Amino acid sequence: MYHNSSQKREWTFSSEVVLEQKRREANEKVCSRLMASGKPGASEAALLDPREEMVLFRHYEKRLVDFCSVFKPVMPKAVMGTAIMYFRRFYLNNSLMEYHPRIIMLTCAYLSCKVDEFNVSSSQFVGNLQESLAGQEKVLEHILGYELLLIQQLNFHLVVHNPYRPMEGFLIDLKTRYPLLENPEMLRKSADDFLNRAAMTDAGLLFSPSQIALTAVLNSASRAGLNMDSYMMDCLGLKEDKEMLSKLMETMRRVKHLTKKYELPKPEEVSICKQKLERIHGEFPTNTNLKRKRGHEDEELVVKRPLVAEEEFWTDEDLEPL
Amino acid sequence: MDDQSCPRCKTTKYRNPSLRLMVNVCGHTLCENCVEMLFVRGSGNCVECDTPLRKSNFRVQLFEDPAVDKEVEIRKKVLKIYNKRNVDFSSLREYNDYLEQVEELVFNLTNNIDAENTRQVMEQYQRENKDLILKNRAKLTREQEELEELLLVERRDSEQKRLETLQEEQRHLQARRRNKQTLLDELESSQLPACVLLAQHKDRAAQLEIQIEKQKQVVKTTVFSTGIPMGQTICLQPVCGVEEELFHYRPVTLETHGPIVPHLEQLSRLGYLNHVRGVSQQDVAGGYTSGLACHRAIQDAFSGLFLTEL
Repeated sequence: MYHNSSQKREWTFSSEVVLEQKRREANEKVCSRLMASGKPGASEAALLDPREEMVLFRHYEKRLVDFCSVFKPVMPKAVMGTAIMYFRRFYLNNSLMEYHPRIIMLTCAYLSCKVDEFNVSSSQFVGNLQESLAGQEKVLEHILGYELLLIQQLNFHLVVHNPYRPMEGFLIDLKTRYPLLENPEMLRKSADDFLNRAAMTDAGLLFSPSQIALTAVLNSASRAGLNMDSYMMDCLGLKEDKEMLSKLMETMRRVKHLTKKYELPKPEEVSICKQKLERIHGEFPTNTNLKRKRGHEDEELVVKRPLVAEEEFWTDEDLEPL
Repeated sequence: MDDQSCPRCKTTKYRNPSLRLMVNVCGHTLCENCVEMLFVRGSGNCVECDTPLRKSNFRVQLFEDPAVDKEVEIRKKVLKIYNKRNVDFSSLREYNDYLEQVEELVFNLTNNIDAENTRQVMEQYQRENKDLILKNRAKLTREQEELEELLLVERRDSEQKRLETLQEEQRHLQARRRNKQTLLDELESSQLPACVLLAQHKDRAAQLEIQIEKQKQVVKTTVFSTGIPMGQTICLQPVCGVEEELFHYRPVTLETHGPIVPHLEQLSRLGYLNHVRGVSQQDVAGGYTSGLACHRAIQDAFSGLFLTEL
């Protein structure tokens, strides 16, 4: 349950400011490291600033969602939610310039399949990519290589509490204790949409899943022109506790605001940032640590990559408390 | 428990508390009275299996199941012949095989499986191992003798001890009586006032008691009940006391940061279960009930709902 989970303890933050701060720190750390390497490509203009990183992050997140929604066999919503949450948590402390989001995104999806007991084999998983068989194998190799890194960067907190089950709980509760509402099932569709949109915001890092779910249900009700205040008052026992009620209202307003604010990045912006990202990754390959993680990796692949002084960076990262 | 009853006259232990059931080599029971009646001439056939029996072979049934009595009898007989011991074999394996063979024989005879053959096997064995059997029997008796001797010594010891304590007690009794006698004498002859004499007497009596007590204690403490003398050096280092804070139970409180979740048992009464999918028979077999999923959903819905500003 959420109230004694690692999600509440370690992965729920007090405000957007904290999140922004963490992302900026991650960005700055990588920037300064790349600048210090003294390579010709490392100039202020060539690197991504936090805003550009956010644009790319949004872009790849959308791609992750698209990948999950066309996944065969059909992927449960909770698995997708978990994958997005992993992706978000990972890039909270890491920069896109360090680890390419394309591969991290797939690794997140792969890991969440395992954690949420959605049983697909690794070959079945990469079978969903529009690639040749050889290409798929290569991607799989990469996914497996990054899997341990991802788990470590998630600080081994793998259980993610998604708002989907709480929403079911609220619907059951509404049906049972709130007969004023004639057909709670009609709220489901729009509440589901709301949750899908909320998953692509920072809401999961700021609020509890039950709050998000309640917001989704109430939002859906208000769109249908229904007033649910009495449910909050009577059934959730907030009649006496006006202060709590106002706090909860405020929380839900923030969730709604976050969801409303969300917009997809513009394609032209994305393509500019993408070029930058590819160049950075071309000039500063960071894949050497893969060799460490997987002893049996293709010799040839490793030799091809220039050995940058990555060793000490890796151990630093290892020791740094999240 | 079934009451034991005689198969012939149908008397039960309940109706006749003094009923004594007898059993013969075939393992079938008869009550004492029936035995007297049927075997007046000293021999006859078993009522149940028609085995020719002799009256002298009837034994009082010791076990609830007469078959056990039969087996015990047979085992005794077999072991008289098969009396080899561990040392007679070169390896443990052989000894175990031998024991298993013995068990096989006992089992066969008890359950009348291949009885004739088994008996022949036994006879052949007896012929072949005549010397060894005799030797072992002698050894066995010698061992028994030793054991009996040991028992005798023990019994003698305890008897002596009992006599000693008895004498001791007698002596104490005498001392007390003498003390009393002196008091009476003194009361009769002395010039001193009676209360002084009484006080003296009391003093003496108390001293005597203390003495007796001491002697008793001395007797008691020379030897442990295990036979180990008290003075013997046994490591008796004082055990260091470990001072630790006692465990205090504190009831577990769960802060869910949300509305109260109804108990799993209450769900159906409150009507929650009318709104969730029912369970199939296969689910129930696995221990699943619809309440579990419903409870979890409600729990998840309410957990952390009122959480603000960590």
